[in-house]
Amino acid sequence: QPQIILLKEGTDTSQGKAQLVSNINACTAVADVVRTTLGPRGMDKLIHDDKGNVTISNDGATIMKLLDIVHPAAKILVDIAKSQDSEVGDGTTTVVLLAGEFLKEAKPFVEDGVHPQNLIRSYRTACYLAIEKIKELAVSIEGKSLEEKKSLLAKCAATTLSSKLIGGEKVFFASMVVDAVIAIGNDDRLNMIGIKKVPGGNMRDSFLVNGVAFKKTFSYAGFEQQPKKFLNPKILLLNIELELKSEKENAEIRLSDPSQYQSIVDAEWNIIYDKLDKCVKSGAKVVLSRLAIGDLATQYFADRDIFCAGRVAEEDLQRVAAATGGTVQTSVNNIIDEVLGTCEVFEEKQVGNERFNIFSGCPSGRTATIVLRGGADQFIEEAERSLHDAIMIVRRALKNSTVVAGGGAIDMEISRYLRQHARTIAGKSQLFINSYAKALEVIPRQLCDNAGFDATDVLNKLRQKHALPSGEGASYGVDINTGGIADSFTNFVWEPSVVKSNAINAATEAACLILSVDETVKNPKSESAQGEAAASAMAGKGRGRGRGMRRR
Amino acid sequence: MAISMQPHGIQSMLKEGHKHLSGLDEAVLKNIDACKQLSTITRTSLGPDGMNKMVINHLDKLFVTNDAATIVNELEVQHPAAKILVLAGKAQQEEIGDGANLTISFAGELLQNAEELVRTGLHPSEIISGYTKAITKTLEILEELVEKGSETMDVRNKEQVVSRMKAAVASKQYGLEDILSSHIADACIQVCPKNPVNFDVDNVRVSKLVGGVLHNCTVIRGMVLKGDAVGSIKRVEKAKVAVFATGVDSSATETKGTVLIHSAEQLENYAKTEEAKVEELIKAVADSGAKVIVSGGAVGEMALHFCDRYKLMVLKISSKFELRRFCRTTGTSALLKLSQPKPDDLGFVDSISVEEIGGSRVTVVRSEDGGNKVATVVLRGSTDSILDDLERAVDDGVNTYKAMCRDSRIVPGAAATEIELARRLKEFSFKETG
Repeated sequence: QPQIILLKEGTDTSQGKAQLVSNINACTAVADVVRTTLGPRGMDKLIHDDKGNVTISNDGATIMKLLDIVHPAAKILVDIAKSQDSEVGDGTTTVVLLAGEFLKEAKPFVEDGVHPQNLIRSYRTACYLAIEKIKELAVSIEGKSLEEKKSLLAKCAATTLSSKLIGGEKVFFASMVVDAVIAIGNDDRLNMIGIKKVPGGNMRDSFLVNGVAFKKTFSYAGFEQQPKKFLNPKILLLNIELELKSEKENAEIRLSDPSQYQSIVDAEWNIIYDKLDKCVKSGAKVVLSRLAIGDLATQYFADRDIFCAGRVAEEDLQRVAAATGGTVQTSVNNIIDEVLGTCEVFEEKQVGNERFNIFSGCPSGRTATIVLRGGADQFIEEAERSLHDAIMIVRRALKNSTVVAGGGAIDMEISRYLRQHARTIAGKSQLFINSYAKALEVIPRQLCDNAGFDATDVLNKLRQKHALPSGEGASYGVDINTGGIADSFTNFVWEPSVVKSNAINAATEAACLILSVDETVKNPKSESAQGEAAASAMAGKGRGRGRGMRRR
Repeated sequence: MAISMQPHGIQSMLKEGHKHLSGLDEAVLKNIDACKQLSTITRTSLGPDGMNKMVINHLDKLFVTNDAATIVNELEVQHPAAKILVLAGKAQQEEIGDGANLTISFAGELLQNAEELVRTGLHPSEIISGYTKAITKTLEILEELVEKGSETMDVRNKEQVVSRMKAAVASKQYGLEDILSSHIADACIQVCPKNPVNFDVDNVRVSKLVGGVLHNCTVIRGMVLKGDAVGSIKRVEKAKVAVFATGVDSSATETKGTVLIHSAEQLENYAKTEEAKVEELIKAVADSGAKVIVSGGAVGEMALHFCDRYKLMVLKISSKFELRRFCRTTGTSALLKLSQPKPDDLGFVDSISVEEIGGSRVTVVRSEDGGNKVATVVLRGSTDSILDDLERAVDDGVNTYKAMCRDSRIVPGAAATEIELARRLKEFSFKETG
């Protein structure tokens, strides 16, 4: 009987229960990779790609992005890590771990023949209940004075930073982060906080500028004669080139009288002098431009005690505009006072190996810049990522200001609540919700494992504490320092509740998505025509092939 | 695949490498077999408990869905007979928007039953005539099964709309249909024109933003544009809008020209006049009362500078279709040249603001009261494939609404109708001879 070819040559299909199990295996394998990065004692991963770039990171989303996974089911995990990063900023390792655990708990049921739809339904119910519980347990920091808020936010930031590379200096950085976020105010756009990296020195030398700072740009002759420090200067921001060159490319000058030649040359010089004059007349003491400022202009300004910098990066220029209240001009005609910016102090300082231009004391003050110092490039890059996470956390906490106890406390509490609830349900979903609750315990368990403590012991103690009917054990979590349990709330180990609820939601969605797939079809790429003719009639249980990841 | 050993006959007349199958054994049964396989694949996706399929198409894009039309589309079916099934599913999708899975599974089942009849010796043409009789009778019976009182329906009544739409959405996304159908119904009702029959599904847009969860989905009366506003003004309320289909820039000639300068003064004034020209144009736009400029092409830097000076907000919409929809939403007519717009060319919006949703900046155009012709459902979800699937669910819902507007009669779902039809058809068959 000749075979019937239904699909294109080179198509790869797998189907049935085996497929589902192999998908789950792939996802568990991925979760294992990031497992050890969780928590304050988590380890970092060093990844180098074929271009030779080396990245050291603890951040789940970064690692997932760099892993370059091909297995389609595991790719879903990468997606949720990315979405957690963009929505909340932190908790990316948590979300991958949770998704992996949900699937691991589901595996025995699937192998026993439970229809995945039942699992999905119960998981969704459990997720909903968990989110409600988080809302109940969250503590609000709304309505407190600014000082109190600042200290609360600093504690949240410190919790985030404690699991990262710069955790050693978390108090120092936490207060920096909180100051920066409060500086950008309500109109918060993330790119208004600039992070500049300068190798050299050590972490402690990093500082926060309540204004803008950027590296000195390329400068022409005459630069050194310009004054480098101003008090209360007016600042002019330009988007044009101050150079002696032709106005338009396709201009041609045709003369009939050679004596006119001199007047043309004079005219060209006049144009540029005119422009420079207008800049000076506006009263500005500092001139910044996105395009180049030529040597003629630099010397002209130097003669008149004006500082100028050309080829400033777009981002930096925007930040200066926002901070000083000026607007970027595309023409020097008609410069009115309100487009000029002001600040208290402008100066050029030497930081490490570089010279930086620093604007501080800006009136509208809607920006901040953090200058990072450190030993190695990778180190500083990781520090930047960690700070980014912390900044996102503080922003979220500022917006919906509810926090929950960290250190695995909230997970244990939800787990207990779900187990209790499950007992009230008659039917199969009781088992599923139970396994969902068990999966949630992976967070405190992993925290202990990473720290080298005996997980079983600690978890038992935690369970007992949480089962106390008075509810006083609700905020007990893992204590990293002693290897026992402690009240996370009073120890200031906090997380914004939005991190946890988003993580649980995303992990549940991903788990449900993977459970709901019973067939995978991979079409051949449009460029490569060949591939085994694996497209033969798949009218039965295909032996699922997990791609790219080793099977458990 | 019968590779005939006869070099003469039809084989030698046709081109090299072709396959020729004929006769009962080869053609008919093999075709039926192929179609059966296809319908087996899609069968498990039917209904709310249907399983999803993960398909990676030839461009390496991942689809996780249970929408049969999408699945068979991406499957790249080779077998010609099975392709017919695919086309049938597609036709159903284009015409009605939902029920593609029903089509394919039903067709597969019909063929399977036909196969048994063929094996018992019945001639295919007899089967065809039998089936044709059956379909006419079925349609008659279907008329009788329509729910009483559902002929007339107020398409703007939300509960009625939701009750009809829920089943369609539930079969795509079980468990989320309450929230989703409520949003879809909102969006559709807002967009419904005076004559419901003219409802255009294109007016309900879907905007997908990664991040958050489904509960954060909202409906916005107006449009959501991806991307930031160009220029420094990020928020404007109750503004008049001017739309320019081409870019906002000083015009440059197509032909290669050279500017001939004869004297020194001309050189000096050259740059100035260009600037002045642009300023004049922008000033003219500002004078007409517009506070927002929407450009279909690039915005020149000089122009942008003057827009900021005159406090005009600038938006850039690169897609022609988006621009057209924007014009519909706000009631603007697009101008082709940068010149002063006339008062009736201008449109009106309630507010335009740049917001940050899920880590990306989007521009939200709100147009609350009357005459708003476009509504947008903002979908949130954690992965791209989830968002794509939600979009398909929304599409199904909107198409259901469109069908509702045309013909609002309903029949009971969940296979109740099918079983009733089967029973009545069986009675009818006993009365037939032959």
